[in-house]
Amino acid sequence: MQKKAQDKKSRKERKKEKLYLSDRPPLTPLAAVMLAISYLILIFWAFVILWPLLQMTLASLNGSLGNYISLGGTYTLSLKHFKYLFTETHFLLWTKNTLVIAIATALLTLLVVSFTGYAYSRYRFSGRRASLMAIMLIQTIPAFAGITAYYTIHSIISAIIPSFSRQMWLILIYAAGGIAGNTFMLKGYIDGISTELDDAARIDGCSNMQVYRLIVMPIARPMLAIIALWSFIGPFLDFMLPKILLTDPKQYTLATGLFTLISDMRNMNQPAFAAGGLLTAVPIIILFITLQKQLVSGLAQGSVKG
Amino acid sequence: MKVERYVYDEIGRPYPRKNRYLAELAELDAELETADPKRAKELKAKRSELEKNKSSHPHIVKLKEARKAEREFLAELKRESAAYKKSLSRASVQVVKWRLEYFQAEKKAAFYEPLVDLDYDFELAYKAAETQIHRLPLMLETRAALEAKEGRLKAELEAAKGQDHSSAEAKIKAYKEERQAQADAEIKQIKQLQKQGQISARAYRNEREQKIRAAKEDIRAREMTHPLKTLKSQLENVRHHLRVDPESERRVLNSDLSDLRRRIPVETFQQRAYKSWLALLVPGLGQVLNKQYVKSIFFFLLTFIIYFINLPYAMGKHNYRGEGLAGLINLAAGRSRVDRSIIFMIEGILAVCLLIIAIFLFYFSFRDAHRVEKNKIKGTRPYNWFETKNSISRNGFPYMVSLPALILIIFIVMVPIFSTVLISFTNYDPSHQSKFVWSGITNYREIFLGQGVAGGPFWKILGWTVIWTLGASSLAIFIGFFLSLIAHQERIKGKRIFRTIYLLPWAVPAFITIMMFSVMFSPGGPLAEILESLLGYPFNVKNDTYATRVVLILLQGWLGSAYVFMLSTGVLQGIPGDLYEAAHIDGATAFQQAFKITIPLVLYRTAPLLIGQYTFNFNNFSIIHLFNGGGPFNPSRYGNIAGSTDILISYIYKLTIVKQYQAIGAAITIVISIFLLIITWYGYRNSKAFKEN
Repeated sequence: MQKKAQDKKSRKERKKEKLYLSDRPPLTPLAAVMLAISYLILIFWAFVILWPLLQMTLASLNGSLGNYISLGGTYTLSLKHFKYLFTETHFLLWTKNTLVIAIATALLTLLVVSFTGYAYSRYRFSGRRASLMAIMLIQTIPAFAGITAYYTIHSIISAIIPSFSRQMWLILIYAAGGIAGNTFMLKGYIDGISTELDDAARIDGCSNMQVYRLIVMPIARPMLAIIALWSFIGPFLDFMLPKILLTDPKQYTLATGLFTLISDMRNMNQPAFAAGGLLTAVPIIILFITLQKQLVSGLAQGSVKG
Repeated sequence: MKVERYVYDEIGRPYPRKNRYLAELAELDAELETADPKRAKELKAKRSELEKNKSSHPHIVKLKEARKAEREFLAELKRESAAYKKSLSRASVQVVKWRLEYFQAEKKAAFYEPLVDLDYDFELAYKAAETQIHRLPLMLETRAALEAKEGRLKAELEAAKGQDHSSAEAKIKAYKEERQAQADAEIKQIKQLQKQGQISARAYRNEREQKIRAAKEDIRAREMTHPLKTLKSQLENVRHHLRVDPESERRVLNSDLSDLRRRIPVETFQQRAYKSWLALLVPGLGQVLNKQYVKSIFFFLLTFIIYFINLPYAMGKHNYRGEGLAGLINLAAGRSRVDRSIIFMIEGILAVCLLIIAIFLFYFSFRDAHRVEKNKIKGTRPYNWFETKNSISRNGFPYMVSLPALILIIFIVMVPIFSTVLISFTNYDPSHQSKFVWSGITNYREIFLGQGVAGGPFWKILGWTVIWTLGASSLAIFIGFFLSLIAHQERIKGKRIFRTIYLLPWAVPAFITIMMFSVMFSPGGPLAEILESLLGYPFNVKNDTYATRVVLILLQGWLGSAYVFMLSTGVLQGIPGDLYEAAHIDGATAFQQAFKITIPLVLYRTAPLLIGQYTFNFNNFSIIHLFNGGGPFNPSRYGNIAGSTDILISYIYKLTIVKQYQAIGAAITIVISIFLLIITWYGYRNSKAFKEN
C-alpha cells in the first residue's frame, strides 16, 4: 500500500516538474559557468561598441557643450549643434557634393563594367588571359600611386575643357579605379549563369547586345546592384582622394568637410561634428544593416572567384 | 615567284586551277622542285618563255575576250534594267528592288553559264545568279501573300466597323462582370482564411494578387473575341511581318551568297603581297586596294585621327604647355618660368601613349590588309561588307565593348602610375618645384641607405608599418572570430541583437568613428578624462608615441572586428549541423569540435578576405591621418617630416602633398607597389579560379 502511495506521489511530483524536451544535453554546472562568461563577454563587447557611438549621439544633442566635447557639466537637450551645422557650415553643400559624386561614380562604373564583365565572361578572344592578369595586377597598385600626376592631369584637361571640375576628375578616378575589381566580381557572377540560355537566345536571333540586355543582365541584376551600391558607398567613406584633390571648402565631400570641424582651430566645433557624423552615419547604418547579406556576398564573390 | 598548283579556300580545301596559263606555270614550278640542275635550266627557260608570251596564251586570250564581253553585257544590262524599272514603278520599293534583282539574275545566269569553266569569278557570278533566281520568287510570293492578306483584313475591318456588335459587346460585358464577381468571391474567401489565422498576411497578399491577375488575363482574353479587336490585332500582326520579314529574308539570301563566296575560290596573277606594304602608312588605302570599300572608310577615319591628333601631339603641337616627346627628355630645362617640368613630363607621357596607340593602329590596319591580300593569292575571296559586318559582330564584340574601359584605364590609371615611376628618377623636391632634372637612382639609394631629410626615417617607418599591419589586422581577426564563435553557441539568446550591435563599427563610416575617437582622446575629451581618473594624473595619449600606437591598434581592432565577425558568422551559419552530430557520436569534445571542424572551415572560407585585411591596413591612410595626423612628432628620431606613428602611406602623403618631396615620395610608392605586385602575382598565379580560365 505504502509503495503504491509513494509511486503516486512521485508521479505527481514528476508532473509538476517541467518536461525536458530539448535534444541538447542538460546544462551541467561547468557549462552554466561557461555560458555566463560568454554572456559577460558578449555584453562587454556590446558596451565597448555602443559607448562611443552613444557619446557621439549625446554630445550632438547636448546644448550646454561649447566647442569641445567633454564628460562633465550639465546636460541640456537641444538641437543647437544641428542648427549650427546647417546654418554656419557648408554641411548641406557637402552632402550634395558627396551624393553627386557617389551617384555619378555608381552610374559610370555600372555602364563600363557591365560590358567588360560580360565580355570577359562570355567571349574567348586573344589577349583575354593576359589582360585579365594585367588588370588584376593594376588593381593592387594603390590609388595614391598617382597623386602627383592627378593635379597636373587635371590642369591639362581643364585647359582644354574649362568646365572640367575637380569633382568630375574625382568621379573619373573613382570609376576607373574600380573597373578592375568590379569586372572581376561581375565576371565571376556571369560565369555562374548557364550559357544554354545565351545559346537559345542566339538561335532565336538575338544579337550580342540583345543577349546581354534581355538574358544576362536581368539574371545578373543582383550583382550589378551590389556593384552599384559599393561604388555608391565608396565616395562616402573615402577621405584621402578628396582631401588631396579638393581645395575649396565648398567643393568638399562629407568626409573632408566634417574633418574641418575638428582639425581647424578657427572653426573648431566638436559637437557640431558629432551632429554631422550622426546625420551621415544613420542612413548608411540603415543601408548596411538591411543589405548586409548582399554586400558581404558581393565581396566574397569577388575575392573567391577572382 | 612560285605558283601553287591548287587554290585553297578559308578552311584549306584545295581546288584545281581554272586558269590554264597559271596552271601550266604551276606544273613547271612543281617539276622544278625535284628536277636535277640540267633539267631545271630547261624548265626555267620554258617558264620564262611562257611568262613572256603571256598575252598570247590561248586561255588568257579567251579570258580577255570574255571580260570584254562581260563589260558590254553589264552596260547593256544597266540600260535594260532602267527600262524594266520604269515598267514596275507602281509597286512598293521593296518589290521593285526584288523584281529588278530577279530580272538581272536571269540575264546574268544566261550570260555566265557558258563561261563557268573559264574562271572562278564567272562561276561565282553564275551560281549567285542561280541562287537569286531560286530565292527571289519565293520572297516575292510570300510578300505578295502578306500584302493580299493585309488588303483583305483592311477591307474586312472597314466592313466590320459599319456593323452592329452590340450582342458581342454585351456578351463580353456579361463575362467581365461574372469573372470579376468570381474573383471578388475568391478573394473574400481567402480573406476569411486569413482572419481565421489559417494563412499569413503575406500569403493572403500573394494569393489576392494572383487572383486579380488571373481575372484580368481572362477578361483580356475574352475581350479579344470582339470582332473589331480580332481584326485589328490580325492586321497588326500582318503589318509586323511586312516590316520585319524582308530584312530577315534579305539576310538569309546574303548568307547564301556569302556561303558561295566561301566555297568558290579566286585566282589572281599577283603572286606576291606588296599592296599592303605600299599602304602601310595610310590605314584604309590597303583596304581600298583589296576592294573592301566600306571597311576602308573606317580605316581612313583612323588615318585622320593618327595624322591630326596622335602624331602632332607627340611632336609637340596642340600641347597644353609641353613639347610632346621632346618635353619628356628636356623636362622644360631652359624654358621660361611658367613652364613647369611636371607638365612637360606628363604631356610627354601622354605623347608616348598616343604614339603607341598610333603605332598599334598602323599595325592593326596593315595586318588586316596584308592578311586579306595574302589569302587572295592563296585562293580565298576577300570578305564583302555583309561578311565583314558579321565577322565584327562575332569576333570584334568583346574588343568594342571593352574600349571605354581600356581608355579610362590607360589615361586615368596608367598615365599617373607611369608619371610616378618617372618622377622617382628625378630630383623633384621643395627647391626644385618648377624645374627638376633626371637624377638616376639617387632617390632609391637614399631610401635604402636611410639618408637625407626625406629618406632618413624610411626603415623606422617601414618597421612600424609592418608591426601596425600585423598587429591591427590580427587583432581585428582574432576579436571578430572569437566573438562570432561565442555568439554562435546554441544556448545564447538574443543572437540577433548582438549581431546587429556588432555590425555597427562596420556600418558607421570609419572616418566618423576615427574622428570621434580622436576627439574623445584629445585633452578634456571623455576618454581622456576617464583615463585621467584611472591613472590619477593627466595623461595625453596623443603626446606619447607608444600610447598612440597602442590606441591605434586597439581602435583598428574595434573597427575591423565587425567585418570579420560578419564574415565568419555567415560561414558558421552555413556549416551543416550533422558534422557536429557525427563528431559528437564519435565522442569528440566541444574543444575538439571547435578546433577540428569550425576553425578550419571558417578560416578556409574566409582566407582571401582575411588576407585582404592585411593589405587594407598596410594602406590604411584614414586611421593614421585622422586620429593623430601621424603624430606625435619626434624630430630627433623621425626627422622633420614624419611623425612617430606615420605608416608608409601617410608618410608618402606628407612627403608629396604637404612637404613637396615628390620624388622621394614617388620612389617609396614604387617600392611599395612592386612589393604588393609580387605578392599578388604570386597569390593569383596559384589560385584555382585563374587557372580554370
